[in-house]
Amino acid sequence: MLEKEITISNKLGLHARASAKLVQALHGFQSSAFLACRGKEVNAKSIMGVMMLAAGMGTPVTLRTDGPDEADAMQAMVDLFERKFDEES
Amino acid sequence: MTVGVLLMTHESMGEALIGAARHVLGRLPLPVEVQEVAANADPDQTLRSAAANARELDRGDGVLVLSDLYGATPSNIAQRLPGLGVRMHCVSGLNLPMLLRVFNYPEQSLDELAQTAATGGRGGIVVDTP
Repeated sequence: MLEKEITISNKLGLHARASAKLVQALHGFQSSAFLACRGKEVNAKSIMGVMMLAAGMGTPVTLRTDGPDEADAMQAMVDLFERKFDEES
Repeated sequence: MTVGVLLMTHESMGEALIGAARHVLGRLPLPVEVQEVAANADPDQTLRSAAANARELDRGDGVLVLSDLYGATPSNIAQRLPGLGVRMHCVSGLNLPMLLRVFNYPEQSLDELAQTAATGGRGGIVVDTP
């Protein structure tokens, strides 16, 4: 199991399209993936789960992956957060 | 599994929800049709047209009908579709969370997807805690 803390840096936070992109990025991985913030943990492969965090810019979130391709799944998530979900140039 | 999704709603509801789902998700992973029922629409004509829509959507795994209000005409017409040989489940109370959750699980069977839709619709209702 891998765990990493990251701070949401895109202006709109984990809004609907960003949540959809995260789910999409994780789609091909076998590992399970979770996001946690403010004491709430959700399935990162579920769009409604991710949205229920209502996590805005500046919110620290914990990413967790668990499974045979957990390192690649973690990297895919981290990349997307670091690229600000391709929303800002 | 490829379940077809048929939205049966009051006027301007269905297209608006599909538009919002496209905005969020981009390409939709399941075949979708929208049937909006106008206030003055003839119910029998609407039923025939809904059945034609449903048949076109059915790739062999059935059709999930999502209607906006249980007991209203679009939903009442949907309940008559099995009588015309349409294999379907109808889930009422359509909202955007329901729709997004359905498209999150495109591999599910018709029975599973009906439950997924209901859970998504309920779970998307959140009362803010001050």
